[in-house]
Amino acid sequence: MTVEDEIEIMGQRMNDKIKKIFGRSLHIREVDAGSCNACEVEVNALSNPIYDIERFGLHIVASPRHADMLLVTGPVTRNMELALLKTYNATPSPKLVAAMGSCACNGGIFGDTYASCGGVDKILPVDVYIPGCPPRPQALIFGIMVAIDKLEQKIKRKEALS
Amino acid sequence: MLEIIKKTLRTGCQTIKYPQVPDIAPEGFRGKPEFAAEKCTYCGNCIKVCPPGVIWLCEQKGEKRLSLSCCGCIFCGRCEEVCTAGAIKLTLEYELCAKKKEDLLSSIRSKS
Repeated sequence: MTVEDEIEIMGQRMNDKIKKIFGRSLHIREVDAGSCNACEVEVNALSNPIYDIERFGLHIVASPRHADMLLVTGPVTRNMELALLKTYNATPSPKLVAAMGSCACNGGIFGDTYASCGGVDKILPVDVYIPGCPPRPQALIFGIMVAIDKLEQKIKRKEALS
Repeated sequence: MLEIIKKTLRTGCQTIKYPQVPDIAPEGFRGKPEFAAEKCTYCGNCIKVCPPGVIWLCEQKGEKRLSLSCCGCIFCGRCEEVCTAGAIKLTLEYELCAKKKEDLLSSIRSKS
């Protein structure tokens, strides 16, 4: 089996997985926690005709109450700390958190200072890290695919415990 | 109206088939930095210039270990510029996503 075949199967599996867990679609709420807006530009590019994530059933929504997944960008500034927590609490379970960009992963160029927390994982449990400054839209699609994989594991573990 | 339809038909479908078909980054893209262990002299120039400070050197029992965490790397390419030995290169790899931070770590060791 060649690499191309494997990736083709992976794309197919992604669609199947979303269908099984969320009933056809995954809704994403994008949270800007003090990012420089480069990551937002890439998220915007995801819904243009070239990348078109709607064909996988991935939607960007306007409220955390509609969302299954939070896509957090930026190093989490002190002013956005509480807002991010409130957004997380407003998202219905089972939920996913993806840290997008180097700032969200580790503080990046901003680091851990008096004005920024230095990474989303200091505030919330992060399921998947997507490094890049900013990551390419393709890297984002790949990241979301990995996140869905993790969600499946989470649900299985919960079922095994109960 | 007819002109718009004509233009749309001429443009055709522009959507890339990304997850099904691999997409190779263009030449000059700055992706995951990679070390060449045999070329590295452990001079520490890359550590000094790294803006977010994600490259570090550990010394244990005479063995030197140079580590780089892609988590936090801004892919500026300064380390590649200052490396006189040419031991660090930025590759075209961009699918760096990981479930754990430790998975994004890469390191090389000196033979002693």
